[in-house]
This record gives sequence, structure tokens and C-alpha cells, in this order.
Amino acid sequence: MKEEALKIIEDVLAQGRKSLVEFEAKEILKAYGLPVPNEKLAKTLEEALRYAEEIGYPVVLKLMSPQILHKSDARVVLLNIKNPEELKEKWEEIHENARKYRPDAEILGVLVAPMLKVGREIIIGVTEDPQFGHALMFGLGGIFVEILKDVTFRIIPIEEKDAWKMLREIKGYPILAGARGEPPADMKAIVDLMLKVSKLIDDLRDYIKEMDLNPVFVYPEGEGAVIVDARIILK
Amino acid sequence: MEKSKIAEELRPFFDPAAVAIIGATDKKGKVGNVIFENFRTNKERGIFRGNIYPVNPKLDEIEGYRCYHNIKEVPDDVELAVISIPAKFVPATMKDIAEKGIKAVIIITGGFGELGEEGKRMEREIYEIARANGIRVIGPNCVGVYVPDTGIDTVFLPDEKMDRPKSGPIAFVTQSGAFAAAMLDWAAGAGIGIGKMVSYGNKLDVDDADLMEYFIHDDEIKVVTFYIEGVKDGRKFIEAARRITQVKPVIALKSGRTEYGAKAASSHTGSLAGADRIYDAVFKQTGIIRAEDFEHMFDMAKAFAKCKLPKGDRIGIITDGGGAGVMASDAVAKFGLKMAELSEETLKFLKENFPPHAVAGNPTDVVGDTDAQRYKVAIEAFVNDPNVDAIVIITLFQVPLLDEMELIDILSEYAKKSDKPIVAVAMGGKKTEHYAGILEDRGVPVYPTPERGVRAMAGLVQYARYLGRRKE
Repeated sequence: MKEEALKIIEDVLAQGRKSLVEFEAKEILKAYGLPVPNEKLAKTLEEALRYAEEIGYPVVLKLMSPQILHKSDARVVLLNIKNPEELKEKWEEIHENARKYRPDAEILGVLVAPMLKVGREIIIGVTEDPQFGHALMFGLGGIFVEILKDVTFRIIPIEEKDAWKMLREIKGYPILAGARGEPPADMKAIVDLMLKVSKLIDDLRDYIKEMDLNPVFVYPEGEGAVIVDARIILK
Repeated sequence: MEKSKIAEELRPFFDPAAVAIIGATDKKGKVGNVIFENFRTNKERGIFRGNIYPVNPKLDEIEGYRCYHNIKEVPDDVELAVISIPAKFVPATMKDIAEKGIKAVIIITGGFGELGEEGKRMEREIYEIARANGIRVIGPNCVGVYVPDTGIDTVFLPDEKMDRPKSGPIAFVTQSGAFAAAMLDWAAGAGIGIGKMVSYGNKLDVDDADLMEYFIHDDEIKVVTFYIEGVKDGRKFIEAARRITQVKPVIALKSGRTEYGAKAASSHTGSLAGADRIYDAVFKQTGIIRAEDFEHMFDMAKAFAKCKLPKGDRIGIITDGGGAGVMASDAVAKFGLKMAELSEETLKFLKENFPPHAVAGNPTDVVGDTDAQRYKVAIEAFVNDPNVDAIVIITLFQVPLLDEMELIDILSEYAKKSDKPIVAVAMGGKKTEHYAGILEDRGVPVYPTPERGVRAMAGLVQYARYLGRRKE
């Protein structure tokens, strides 16, 4: 786990970067058993077409560049691509968007990802406090975090009972528990996610400064969760 | 092993066999004079039992005590040195103290790290001397230590300007000296007993975590309160906090709710993580109970000092005024507690023993024509009801037929013999305050409003829950 993660981190540091692109961040998460979608990094259109067949249409394209961290601003995330013809068009479009946004952008490749079923959005993050070290954050995604700042923190490492308490103490908890006739969300999957992030950071605390898993889709009980987007910032 | 080490290292601060007051003077109102006078009068009263050695190069005698020109001239062993000389002389004096073999030093003097580079350099020098010689230091820039039982009092505010609280099972720790003085004065007025107070100022050496470790093993102290401005070593703080909260409750008031996170953070999470949220997390994980304000802190401390811990969060309320009962019920909901559902037996017992116009239920209203015996019926029923975990008793002492002393006897008796926590609420003026004081002396915490009484009870519930979870 740690060796794989360290290899990625060292590669990034060797390139003089502090920010991991989504693909790199997800490789680290994967090494720690965290649920990431079945995605592949395509360097060429041919690779992209092959991966799309393997994953199954519709797919999503996400362009990976260390210079483009806010992908939606740069319009380098293109959703719901239904067939190879469309993929060829979008391949051109995504590169053009990147060039327009940052002509000097170095392009590491294009992530080919499955279209995910939308779930309830949560955010899990990590920050480093100068006195107490790394802290884990949990909250509901979207307006809950953006506007209401309905989030809660614990110092890493956390125990399972901390994770359950965090889950229940946010104001938006009823949304996870199943408000308005919705089935309850897969809480165990969320707790498992928090514990794995805690373990990951505890192992890599000398390297990682901050992390955002935002959003994470959580599905109904028994159906798990998946990390849609991820950022890691190194020290 | 750790246990005896920290307990022995810090013991001289609280109970030294002999104290040297470096910078003692006969000039009234000077810091060195007030501190010397504190020790001298406490010795005269028979509270401070150790020897006192004033040190001042310009004096031969103060108030009949021989004054030494240098600490090294003191012929006998000294366990604690209290320093109140100008900052620039402190490093040299520390060397003398090290030679003399003193292992505990309180540096009252200000003008160190808080004033800039030269001060910081002196602090480092003092720290190096202390470390090399195994000396523990409280301060600098502080008011030091107050222990009413052993007569330690380095608070340089004179008696006629600041009242000192009586002894009690509450410890109070603060960085700020001004806050320490104001708090002691206030606690004295409020009748709150303080067993040990430490103000550590710039926290050169002894810090919150050290004091937590010390208080773990201090049988005189039942609850520890902290006014925290900042923590230097977060890991050490967390470890010490986790240990002490297994043994006794810790309440913290944290100032500086401003956010620092946003500017430095490049992640979303970082921008949301203000210092305040991080402290909240630390307190939750370590079982420290966070107080909203000063009043809340001591309301809870008083409850912890006097009450048993509840087994659950179901609150029973007994009142002699309907309005106050409603206020208490509202507070129960507000602070996340539950109203107990009284058992059939309790309701039956109350109805059998009450006049028809008294209200059996939760709240139980003994109404305005109550006497002390009607209260007794209600308390007896609540204490025996397995559905009630904790009891809030509202006593409006003003009602005409109530014999105040008889009720005080009943309340204190049940508070003692029941295994459930009982807090009282007494609203009113001077007469009420008088009886509330007696009731508190008899071991029942009393609050001036239902909301404050219930909020204090919520603190007990929170800590009991934390202990319950740790045992899982």
C-alpha cells in the first residue's frame, strides 16, 4: 500500500510538483483500497477508444494537466459520450478547451471514466493543523458544504466510533438516514471510507498536506460509495 | 513510572517544604512585597508550613525575616523559588538557582518572549538552564500558583484588592494572569471552592499537558478547568487529555474563535478548517467538555464537584412554579437531553400522596402552597423511578408555607444517598441567595435559572456518555 503510494508521490515530487492530478490522487486512493471508478488514462485517441469499449459507453473524458486543477472552469470534463464517433469529436474538443484555457498546459493524458449513477453527495477531506496535525473532515456535498458549511472534523488517526459520531453529528444527517421517503444511504461504506483515509494519512503524514475527495457519491445501503473526484496536495 | 515522575516534579509548586522569594521587598504594593506578604501571613495563620527565605541584594531583613543577598547564601534546602526581579537579571539568577539545586521555579516577571527577540533569547537561555539541571519552570509573565490548603499564593494582587476563594475540588488553569486574578476574585464571591490555580503565562516549560498529567494523580482535585488560548504541542496535549479524562472530567474554555485556515489553504477542506473547528475536534476526541463561556465552565465545574454521574440522559423535573418547570423542560430539549417518562408506580405514588391540585408528571409541580414534605414525596418518587437518570429540582423559596431549612435538609440528604445526580435551581434575590449558599455548602449545586441548571446537568451527561463509550 504505502510503497505504491510513495512511488507516485516521489514521481510527482521529482517533476517539481506539489499538486497531484486527479488520476495520480486516485491511484494512491486505490492503493489503500478506497473505492474509485474503473478509469483509465489514455495518451492517444486509439487508447481512449479501446478503454471506452472496455468500460462500456456512455463514458466521461477528463483531461489531466498539472496546470489545470479546476477542470470544470477549463471545460475539460466532458460527460455522457455515447459512441466512438462522439468520442473522436470530444477528444478534439477537450484538447482545444485545454489549449484555450492554458496554452502552456502540459497534458498527461485523458482519463476515460464510466458515467456514474448519481448518488447522495458527500465530501471527505484532510487538512493539516500546525498544532494538532492532520484532521479529517466530513460533510454533505454541494450547498451543504459550500453555503451552510455543515462539516465536522476529527484529528487523525480516528477510530470507528469517531467516524460514526461524525456521520451523525452533521445537521444534514437525516438526508443520509433517508429523508422524504428515500432509502437510507450506505453508512457503513462512508465509515469505511473515513477509516481508510485516516489510515492512508497516518501512513503518509510526512508527505501529504491536504486532500479533498469531492464529491463522493453514496448509494443506498449495501450498494457502497464511489469517489468521483479527488485532489491531493503534497507538503 | 511516568506517574510518579510528573507528580514528583510538579509537587514542589503546590506543597514545597521551603520557598525562596527572589525579589522580595518591603516596599508596599510592589510585586515582590505582595508575594512575600502572602506567604508570611499564610505562615502566621498556620496554613503555609514551610520555611520562607526572602532574597534581595539590597536588604538584610524584611518583617523580621533574614533577607539573603543571593539565593546561594540560603543555608537550608529550598524546594521552590519564586522570581519577581526584572527580566534581564533572570537568566543569571537561574544559574544560581541551578547551583543551589532548586528544582521548581515560578517566574512571575514579564518582559520576555511577549516583547520581542531579546526576550525570546532570554527565554531560550532560561529554558536551556532549566533542562540541563532538571528544573521545572512555571511562567514567565504569569501570576503563578494559588493553593489555599497549603498556603501557596504567588498572586501579586493584594488581599484588600482581590478576594481569595476557599478551597474546593476544582482546579483552574489559565495562561492569562489577569483572567486568573479576576476569576479567583469572582469565585470567592460566588462561593466556589478552588483547590489549585495555575497561571502559566508564556508557558516556557510547564504546560497544559503537564498539568493534566499531574492532576490525574491529585486526589484533592475532582474536576479540572482550563482557559486555553493556544496549545504548543498538540500531540502531547491530546495524549495527556485522553489519559486524564478517563479518571476525572476536564472542562475547557477556548478563546480566539477567529479563523486562520482560509488564507493558507489550497484545498476546500483547508479553507473550512478554522482553529475553532480543530479545537472542537480535539475536545470531542479526548473527552474534554467545551464550555461556551466562563459562567458555563463554572456551572459545570460545580456540578462535577458535587454530583454523581448520571446513567443516562432522562431528566426528571420537580418544581413549585409552573413557569419555571416549562423553562426547564425547554432547556432539556435545547441541550439535547430527554424528559424522563415516569413509571406507572411513580405516578400512582404521587397521586396518592399529593393533594388534588398538585401536578404528578414530568415536570411534577408541587405548586405554590407546598411545604417541604410535599417536595420530599416527589423527590422520593423520582429517586426510586428507574426511568429517571437525573433530577433537577426547582425551589422557589418565596412560597409561603415552605420551611426553607427543612427543604435544605431533605435535598441534601437525597443528594447524598441517591446514586442519581441532583441539581437545584433557586430563582430570586438576596433571601434566595442566602439559602442557596447554605444548600451549596451542604453539597447540592444551585443555579439561578432553570436553563443554567439543566445546562450544567447536560455537562454531566456528556461526560458520562464519553466514559460509557470508552468502555465499549
